[in-house]
Amino acid sequence: MTATTEYDRKFYIVVHPLDDEPEAKVETENLGPMRITTTVRVSLYALRAYLLLMSGMLGYRVLQLAGIIRG
Amino acid sequence: MVANNRTTLDDCRTAVRPEPIRVSSPWAARALTFLMVFGPGLIVMEADNDAGAVSTYVQAGAQYGTHLLWLLLLLLPITYFVQEMVVRLGIATGQGHAAMIYRRFGKWWGRFSLADLLLVNFLTLVTEFAAIALALAKLGVDPRLGVPVSAIGLTALVLTGSYRRWERIVVFLCLLDLAWFAIAFRVHPAMGDVARHTLLPSLPIGGLNASWLFLVIAIVGTTIAPWQLFFQQSCVADKRLRFSDLTSARLDTLIGAVFTILVAGCMMLAGNAAFERHWNFADPALMAVQLGAVFGPILKNGLLLLMINAAVLGTTTISLASAWAYGEVRGWPHSLQKPVREAPGFYAVYAACVITAAGLVLIPGAPLQLIILSVQVLAGLMLPSAIIFLQLLLNDKEVLGERFANRRWNNLVNWSIVILLFVLSLLLAAQVALPKLFPNS
Repeated sequence: MTATTEYDRKFYIVVHPLDDEPEAKVETENLGPMRITTTVRVSLYALRAYLLLMSGMLGYRVLQLAGIIRG
Repeated sequence: MVANNRTTLDDCRTAVRPEPIRVSSPWAARALTFLMVFGPGLIVMEADNDAGAVSTYVQAGAQYGTHLLWLLLLLLPITYFVQEMVVRLGIATGQGHAAMIYRRFGKWWGRFSLADLLLVNFLTLVTEFAAIALALAKLGVDPRLGVPVSAIGLTALVLTGSYRRWERIVVFLCLLDLAWFAIAFRVHPAMGDVARHTLLPSLPIGGLNASWLFLVIAIVGTTIAPWQLFFQQSCVADKRLRFSDLTSARLDTLIGAVFTILVAGCMMLAGNAAFERHWNFADPALMAVQLGAVFGPILKNGLLLLMINAAVLGTTTISLASAWAYGEVRGWPHSLQKPVREAPGFYAVYAACVITAAGLVLIPGAPLQLIILSVQVLAGLMLPSAIIFLQLLLNDKEVLGERFANRRWNNLVNWSIVILLFVLSLLLAAQVALPKLFPNS
């Protein structure tokens, strides 16, 4: 939405995002990997632990269904 | 390999662009801008009321009447806060979620997220077509004819080379869900109970039990799904929303969240009609037939058509989430604005998802129950990881700066949501994988 004046009358110009000039977005091309802060490190460790736990549970269930483990 | 899907200045110079609209009032300008931005938020929220959600909400109503309505009210801010983060990230970077995970967390996490997303999305698509087949059969249409026709229609929907055309059709399909309000009104719920159980959380009669707890978790899992994060960010990027569109995009998301939660409440009220009559049913299509015997064929046919609409909405959005994510990561052109000849890989992924899932449903004796269980387990794996990456990306000031990054209060709310979803996803997946851990479930 842009305000503009013509013959002493003020207009507002509205353009659909798809019809507008593309704007320069935040540059992400050359940033590389995220800096490993304490929060990032703890979060990724928690995620790894969660995924290992889930995989262990699934593996146990598959072995149980295959009759290798009795439960 | 991650590619930039941004439109270049050359693209814009060669394209024929319509005249901008002039209005004299600032209010009219704001309203018009909002209407132009409106779409992704409503679509992502309402498409989440897909076939699986219809089944879960109706089952919740049929088992516990109006007693779980409070949960929907609680989920309203949670679902809004999660999707609002995606809007900010999409507008700031103009990139999809899969591309951002690849760039900032490396190939391993990027591949893991993409593979998990594609798998869980595909299995969910199978359940959408299973619901279409079930509802068509109850409407007297042979699924062997109806399912392929639906798959062809859903593929044709995206092949027009126009984002706007796709969005208008899908917004129209979302608005068809207003019919759920008519159904909820027709089954005459006790409005006093509805108001009381919406505002005051209550435990089931007889106290807490495992099946109630897992239904609660299933409702949370249904309302906040991993594909939504990928879908909305890619959708915002494809629509090329600008920095100045952030407020309108937030309002779009809020309206979508409110509408979706209200529709979900109506679904529970439809189930409540079965609860009041002590009916048991195996699926919502069967419940529609039972309710039709009491309230007439219009209600039965309306419910079955709404089930099909829910599955159609789910199918187009979930398939697009996969196609956008795969296109971003492979570096292919990936935009609904591009004709098929300019983005063949993107459209091929979409068509492959739709047609293969439809084909699988038509195989006699396909293991649909196993597929539904797998969806629950994989969604349990997917949601915490997707949401952790989202939360970390929103704190990435190197990318987002102060303007778009999370504030302190955002982090407080969002980390609480992340921890809650971690615990609930773990419990749900554990219940599916190790049912003996939880007696009476």
